[in-house]
Amino acid sequence: MSRRKLVLAALLSTLALVARPARAQEDPAVLKDLTSVIALQGQPCGQVVSAAKQGDNDYIASCQDGNRYRVFVRDGRVVVQKQ
Amino acid sequence: MTAQPKPAEPPASKPAEQPQSRPEAPPPPKPATPPPPRPVTPPAPKPAAPPPPAQSASPPPAAAAIVDLTGLETRLRETSAIGLFTKLKLKNEVDDLLERFRTFHEGRGGATLAKLRESYNLLVLKVVSLLQDKDAPLARDIFTSREALWNLLADPVKFKTLGSASTRGLAWRRE
Repeated sequence: MSRRKLVLAALLSTLALVARPARAQEDPAVLKDLTSVIALQGQPCGQVVSAAKQGDNDYIASCQDGNRYRVFVRDGRVVVQKQ
Repeated sequence: MTAQPKPAEPPASKPAEQPQSRPEAPPPPKPATPPPPRPVTPPAPKPAAPPPPAQSASPPPAAAAIVDLTGLETRLRETSAIGLFTKLKLKNEVDDLLERFRTFHEGRGGATLAKLRESYNLLVLKVVSLLQDKDAPLARDIFTSREALWNLLADPVKFKTLGSASTRGLAWRRE
């Protein structure tokens, strides 16, 4: 019994290590980065409270004030698009 | 105590020439104010205060601080104080500003040096404000180099020498 539990625990912890959060990015560094970029673009936002990764260097950022922006890179330039 | 020399006749009209109220006593030598001794103050930490922003005057021989462009570039690229998007966005802004300088030095476009200076100052402020919390030494170094950097940009000859390396020296490589 306890052996089974041990195996289960090992399996779960392995899964926890391997599995990645599906889409939402709550990494504070990413949120801060997105906040800075949106502010540099001169768009209203306040602070980015959550972000969903769409692809490589491509996020949908949700702001404190309710605004949402797609932030991505195209031809070496950062683009901030209001959603 | 001191007899005031009052004239006998009352002044009917104001005598314009001589100030009455002040008897012409030569001012005594200044009482006990020795030349300012300037007490020993701790050495000012400000490194090389930038000269006044002389816009049109020819640049002084040793203009501001010497800038290690490559060093600043590397530090900016490698700092963890700002994220990748922010770095790329700043790079875009640096590139745009360099392009405006290029057209300005070629005599094209409607930019003036004053306008460019304004944009330059704004960009430096953005960079410094983004860095100051997490990479204060870099923020300080950029801030103290701003005059020297400006001299490089504003001088057409220096800008040309910078030209080949401009997109590399002031900006970051495309990552």
